This record gives sequence, C-alpha cells and structure tokens, in this order.
Amino acid sequence: MSVNDERIALERVNTPPAQTWNYLRTNDITLTVPAHSRKGDVFFALPRLFEQVECGMGPKVTEWVESQAADAHYVEVRAGVQRAEPIIAEDDTGVMVRAGAEATIVIGASPTEEALDTSASLVRIIAERDTTVHVLEFVAENADQHVHSVGITAGANARIDVRQFFLAAGTTAAGLTVALDGDHARLDLSCRYLGREHDVLDINHVVRQRGRQTRANVRESGVLDGHARKALRATIDLIHGSSGSEGAELESVLVLSDDVTNKTMPVILCDEDDVAGNHGASIGSIAPEQIQYLRDRGLSLEEAEALYQRALFDEALIAAPTAGIRHTVLARATAVLGADVANDLVAGLGLDEAKEV
Amino acid sequence: MQHQLLRVQGLCAGTEDKPILHNIDLTVGAGETHVLMGPNGAGKSTLGHVIMGDPAYMVSTGSIEFDGTDVTDEAADKRSLAGIFLSYQAPVEVPGVPLYSYLRTITQKRPELKMTARKFRARVGEMAEQLDMDSSFLTRELNVGFSGGEKKKIEMLQLLLLKPKLAIMDETDSGLDVDALSVVSRGIEAYRAECDGALLVITHNTRILERLTVDRTHVMVQGRLVAEGPASLIDDIDAHGFEQFEHPQANGSGE
Ligand SMILES: Nc1ncnc2c1ncn2[C@@H]1O[C@H](COP(=O)(O)OP(=O)(O)OP(=O)(O)O)[C@@H](O)[C@H]1O
Ligand SMILES: [Mg+2]
Repeated sequence: MSVNDERIALERVNTPPAQTWNYLRTNDITLTVPAHSRKGDVFFALPRLFEQVECGMGPKVTEWVESQAADAHYVEVRAGVQRAEPIIAEDDTGVMVRAGAEATIVIGASPTEEALDTSASLVRIIAERDTTVHVLEFVAENADQHVHSVGITAGANARIDVRQFFLAAGTTAAGLTVALDGDHARLDLSCRYLGREHDVLDINHVVRQRGRQTRANVRESGVLDGHARKALRATIDLIHGSSGSEGAELESVLVLSDDVTNKTMPVILCDEDDVAGNHGASIGSIAPEQIQYLRDRGLSLEEAEALYQRALFDEALIAAPTAGIRHTVLARATAVLGADVANDLVAGLGLDEAKEV
Repeated sequence: MQHQLLRVQGLCAGTEDKPILHNIDLTVGAGETHVLMGPNGAGKSTLGHVIMGDPAYMVSTGSIEFDGTDVTDEAADKRSLAGIFLSYQAPVEVPGVPLYSYLRTITQKRPELKMTARKFRARVGEMAEQLDMDSSFLTRELNVGFSGGEKKKIEMLQLLLLKPKLAIMDETDSGLDVDALSVVSRGIEAYRAECDGALLVITHNTRILERLTVDRTHVMVQGRLVAEGPASLIDDIDAHGFEQFEHPQANGSGE
C-alpha cells in the first residue's frame, strides 16, 4: 500500500455475546486497517433486509468493509433452484437463498482494492425455509492481514454446512454468526486452522439457536507451531423458545511448540429448559503411541509433525472448488511444506489432470 | 543356510520397572517364515515392539542385528527404513491425519518406492480392491473409527505398499471374519510372492498358517523362548496346549 493511505483502528472487534474477565484478554482483537475516504461516491448497497443479519465480527467491521468496498454484490438464488455453480462471495456480498433452493457459497479472501496488506470480506447470507446451503471459506494467503466477517440466518428446516480453512500467514481475524431462527434448522460447522511462526488467529463463532428443535454441531481443530497465537471464542446461545434444540461444540488443538499461545473460550448460554448444550475440548501434543506408530512406519519426529500440517492442506485442496482458491492454497502449501510436497499434494489428488490449475 | 536377516541374541528387555523378556535368542533367515506362539501375556507383542524399536521398552542386555547391522540402539524410523515392519495387534488411531496423506508420506520416504502420484493412486486403488476395502476410506483419518477387522486390513495395505524385508505380524488374523481372514491370508501370500519377504507370524490360530510354508516355530512362555521346532510343533500345540512347555525342563521339546 502507499504511504499516503490513512489507517484506522478497529478497536475490540470480534467479540463474543458474553464477555469473560478481561485479564484473560480473550474477549476481542484490535486491528489496524486501511481507511479510504469515499465521500461523494455513490455505491450500490445491499437490500435493507441484510442489515438484520448479525455478522461474526460485529458492526464496526461491517461498517468498515461497507465503507471501503466498491459496490456491494447481491446474489439471489430463486426458490426451488439447485444452483450447481458456486457463488463466489467477495468484498461485501449478500446472498439470498429463496425457499427450497440449494447453493454453494465460496468465501476466499481477495485483497481490498488499494491496500494489499489487508484483505477483507463481509458476507451475509439469508437462507430461507427448506434451503440447503454449503459455505466454504478459505483464508490461505501469504499476505499480512485477513478480516472475514460472516453472518447467516437460517429459516425453518434449513440445512447449513460451513467449512472453514484458516491457513494463512500473518493475522487472521474471522467471525461467523449463524442464527438458526426457524424450527428444525441445522448447522454443521467445521473449522480447520494452522498457526505457525508469528501468526495470529482470532476466531469468533456464535450460534444463535432461536427456533425449536434446532441442531448445531461445531467442530474446530487445528495445529499450532512456532510462536503462533490463537484465540477461539465459541458461543452456543440457546435462546428462550428454542425448546428441543441441541448444540454441541468440540475443539481439538495440536500444539507442537512450547512458545505457542493457545486460548479458547467456549460458552454455552442457556435461557431455555428443554435444550442440550455440550462443549468439549482436547488440547495436546501428539500422544506417544501415535508418534510411535508413525515412527514405526519410517517417519522421524519432525516428519510425523509435518504430516499433521500436510493433512490440513490435503483437506483444503480436496474441498477447494475453484482454480483460484486451489492456486492460493497451493502457494501457501509451498511456503509451509516446501515445493516438493506441495506439488505432490496436487498430483496426488488428481488435480494435475484438471487443466485449470 | 539362508542369509541371516534378523539375529536377536541374549536379549533381556522390559519396561522401566518390569522385566518382560529374558535371554531371547532368535534368528530369522531372509525369506523364511517363522511362527511365534505362546499363552496370553507371554511377551510376544513385547518382543515385536522391541525388535521394531519402541522406546517404551528398555533393552538391558543383548543385541538385535538386522541385515548385517546392529540396530539395538537405532530409532524405530531407521529400522523401518532398513526393512522391518510390525503389524500392530491393536493399530493406533491417529486423528488429524487422513489415510491418503499418511500412505503417500510413508511411501515417498523410501527411495526404492518413490513413484508418481498418479501411479501411487492406481497402486493403492489396486491394493484396496485386493483387500476388499472401499476406497472411500482413503479420505478418512488413519485408523479412526475403523472396525477391528478394517484396521487389520489397513495394516496389510501398508505391508503390501512398503514391501519390507521382515514383517512381524502380531495377531493380524485375530478378530477377522472368515472372508476377511482369507483376504488377509491372500495378502500375506502376495507379499511373499512379490518380494520374498521374511515373516514372523504371532498367532493363536492355525488357520492363517494353512496357506504358508512354515520354516520354524517358536514357543514363548513367561518371557522366555522355551521351545523351537519345525512346522509340526504347531499341531502339537494345537492338540496339547502350552502346558507341556510350562516347566523349565521342557526346553527343546518338539525338536
Ligand atoms: N508398556 C507396558 N507396561 C507395562 N506392562 C507391560 C507393557 N507392555 C507389556 N507389558 C506386560 O508384559 C507382559 C507381556 O505382554 P505382551 O503384550 O507382550 O503379551 P503377549 O504375549 O503379546 O500376549 P497376548 O497373546 O495376550 O497378545 C504382560 O504381562 C503385559 O501386561
Ligand atoms: Mg500380544
């Protein structure tokens, strides 16, 4: 970015619904981001309906992205339509999935126009009743700072699955709020992350269970190495009236270095009797018998540890739906695992035969 | 006499506070098939793990020589690359590592097995078919959530992939249904046929041995090898159990 660019601080964003004692310092993150004045420009804004969608990183980030992005993008999937082609959500995007429709939405950080050191996405999704929505989110750049704020509201019987891959270098701040407003709405969230060297990961997951008989299944798992710092806030909010609902959250972290900072703040809020909320966590190094099994098959300790990192990239590449995202993931894999392994990942998955890579 | 592949001499080993194996002498020639039998808790699996180089066990005296090199102090990964393979009695679950990534990584470590990813996929696909496994297992985590029988097949798959010079099969046959048992037997046959690898088969059942030509049988009781004999010793054990060996004087019976 040019020296003339102004920068502003987004103070204490990505907050959970319920705060903890401040001395734990896991409540929020403060980011310094570029700010351009767009006074006088006229932009296309999203329909007002999207203002009601709560986004994971909070209103400050929403305002900032809205002020920085060029035109907002609006995509509508008509009722009952099964849309095969994925919707690529960039900058400021609103997706309306009408009743009974099915769609795949891909969120990949694209650098904001004039400031390449920070990439930002603001994606709001309204999934009406009986919809099936697949969300794939990738942050895998070798760049400096990534800000992703996502909000989803789900109507009755909506099936939402979200797969997040946070593999980027630098600082990744990502917030996701899913509101299961309709009865029987369901969320399956899988979040895979990698932090190494001096990477910072700040993740906020909020599930609001409002409808009756809703289901939320949240799984975070990641690998931390070097001096990486990670904070994960995961909240399951079982709101009054959500009778018969169940929410479960489970995190497993593999810590490969003593210099890692790993903070997790799981919260289950419960204002309803007839509900079940569960939280589980396992934090650890690789168990000795697991290490031994891998060593018995010819891997050194370092190679065994690297295998866990390779696995993240294997998974991300299998999930990557577009050539652009594969390209980004691959470039990151090359930086983390070396060119040999990265090329092998692609070849092994049969992606070398897919011409567009 | 065949070239001696494995030579264990005067080996005593155990955990930090418990001696388990006493004065073990065992020699396996290249391409030979040996059987190790003995009652539960005798120390058979421990011997397998000690030969493989598991640091959970300490060798107090004695030595392990493999392919002409003393490996007593070598790490397990070095022994594995040298050609020793231990099929686990209870394969370990490794969450966070998909089977495909794992298989590819352990294969690429071996210069003699390096192949293009495309060939590799084809090869793994063939072997999966040979072992009657669904190829969807490749994207699942290593051994996680697989049934006991499926885990044993994943061990077999690795055996066929890595083609070691010596395979220690620790009860690979136990807990398998009739069909799986014959699949595994055929797998072992294929391993023998493809690379003329040596076998040390630890088992409680004679079924798995039907398709194999056994060169030598060893009996372990309470951490000691108390008898050694030809294949016919197996039938003897089958008929009369281990009681005959449970006296120190019985050493050498069956010869
Ligand atoms: N890591 C360990 N820590 C403590 N005791 C051990 C350990 N490994 C083995 N043992 C003990 O050593 C003895 C031999 O065990 P081992 O598993 O080798 O027997 P085995 O002959 O393989 O039996 P089985 O036929 O039941 O598989 C047992 O008493 C067992 O409890
Ligand atoms: Mg055993």
